[in-house]
Amino acid sequence: MLAGVGAGMCLIPPSLYFVAPGVKKYALHAIEKEFHYLQLAPGAAAKYVDDYFALNGNNTMETIKWKIIYYTGLSYNKSDRVRDLLKYFLLSTDFFINKTDESKVVNYLGMYSPYSSPIPNPYSFIIYPAESIKSV
Amino acid sequence: MMKQDHYDLVIVGTGFASTFFLKKYLSKAGPDKKVLVLEKGHFYPQAERLKVKKGLHSEFEKYEQPWQDNINNLSDFKEWPFTTAYGGSSNCWWGCTPRFMPNDFKLNSMYGVGQDWPVSYDELDPYYYEAEDIMSVSGPEETPFPRKGKYPLPPHAFTLVDKILHKKYGSQYISQPGARASRATAHRNGCLAFSTCETCPVNAKFTIENSGLTVFQDERVELVYGAQVYSLELDNTIVKSVLFSKDGKDQSVKAEVVVLGTNPFFNSNILLNAGDQNPFTGRGLGEQLGMQVLIYLENMTNAGGSNWVNANGYMLYDGAHRKDYAACLIEANNAPYDIRLERGKYLNVASFRMVFEDLPLDSNFISKGADRFKPDVHFKDRSAYTLKGVENMKKKLPEILSCLPVEELKYLPPASHEGHIIGGTRMSADPALGVVDKHMIHHQYRNLFVLGAGSFTTFGPSNPTLTLSAMSLFAADKSF
Repeated sequence: MLAGVGAGMCLIPPSLYFVAPGVKKYALHAIEKEFHYLQLAPGAAAKYVDDYFALNGNNTMETIKWKIIYYTGLSYNKSDRVRDLLKYFLLSTDFFINKTDESKVVNYLGMYSPYSSPIPNPYSFIIYPAESIKSV
Repeated sequence: MMKQDHYDLVIVGTGFASTFFLKKYLSKAGPDKKVLVLEKGHFYPQAERLKVKKGLHSEFEKYEQPWQDNINNLSDFKEWPFTTAYGGSSNCWWGCTPRFMPNDFKLNSMYGVGQDWPVSYDELDPYYYEAEDIMSVSGPEETPFPRKGKYPLPPHAFTLVDKILHKKYGSQYISQPGARASRATAHRNGCLAFSTCETCPVNAKFTIENSGLTVFQDERVELVYGAQVYSLELDNTIVKSVLFSKDGKDQSVKAEVVVLGTNPFFNSNILLNAGDQNPFTGRGLGEQLGMQVLIYLENMTNAGGSNWVNANGYMLYDGAHRKDYAACLIEANNAPYDIRLERGKYLNVASFRMVFEDLPLDSNFISKGADRFKPDVHFKDRSAYTLKGVENMKKKLPEILSCLPVEELKYLPPASHEGHIIGGTRMSADPALGVVDKHMIHHQYRNLFVLGAGSFTTFGPSNPTLTLSAMSLFAADKSF
């Protein structure tokens, strides 16, 4: 029934066509579980999840695809959707601006965009200037 | 509208090819010359494009012309992004400007593959310098292609991965020469490595708009927007007039010399609509094949790059192997897209784009569409030469990267495009084997230039824009 999940092509039971609130909760849980070692500012992940789903579609097909992930418990290694969710969460915070310092609280800055994020490139010389890159 | 119905020069398009050609032409033409430039699109300023990227409204959005609406793309899997507007695809290119390698121009005589270009690296050399000056290219002193002296701007900063590879490979691994300014110039800001160069958030990337070139404001030049050229009036060995539509009305203008400077889709379409019988017109469309490889590193962070393509690697490029399979240019991408999610390893990854040359195939071509303005674009195949290049790369890359602490290599599927449109009006020494000669003058219509990457005889791995710009300077310099 759920064969071919990775390609998004599978037979869907009728019950899954109906929108369920659990999908966002699952996404939030995925973030909090994966980044359990980080001090996430209160509400940061929840706000991100709201923005992420608003941006990426609340339509029926998107909901179905997320629910399939929920029921099959896919991790980011097996699901590009989960990987995207987690990746863009980190990019949407000040985690990289603070040079991935786990002792600092991680704040949500708004949905990642190279046109509005303050330093969109986590590899950037602005965060890691030339003099900090060791010689060889 | 036009001030007269006859001009010394009519140029179609305002992108790189046209602009660089016009610059050289005006430097040689007398004060009494009359030039008409016909641009299908409109002026859509970079600042306004930026507003739209930020989700804001712009009055100029009405000038947006998605590329998908301008061609009939018969192969959905293949994308061909381009911009229809003042400045052409300078509005959407990503600013990579390495020169070609000398052997890119002589694939047949060196390696028995494809066809030689009728122009050589040495002939283009002085025009490469001129184009690099105009674009204020940032680049290193040592390059794998013959070049003396400094680039107009200093090179961008290396990451630790770049430093290690440069130490091992020397001039075969260099800071990429790019038109993304490493320092602020008179007309542009310095790059901040946002890595979204299509519409640069800080205007660091060279465009026709920020170029400081005043060719379209020259008193000899008239520029008409919203003028879509669809055909030519041909007469034996000359072009007599240019046919275009503006505001729904068909019009024509006579010219002593005509320059087609649109992209290959429309250059070919105009020629085909005009009745050009050259068997190569529209044939051999293509571009490079690109694929990303993620290099997961053990205990090494790849941070510190100061622009998007931070370096170019030539370790798989030129050599005897090109008798059997395609050359490959390595692009070291400094981009946010490919972070890792494992704790403590987020930036322990290098992301390399492997860019393979391809050959013009008959199965990939441009033809007239049902709509005279909209060509049919057919793209079916990649050459076996290129696909063998990919196989070879996968065998050789682990050894090439052995100086790095590689945990794992992850190859992503080939990309749908490299942002280039090449072929369709190839140049040749023998009129029986191409559409244009070494100065990009049509073999049959001797007052017609057909510029741009459409004239490339083969598709080397290196980005085309610098070379096509140098070729425009060369063609105008030698012809007037």
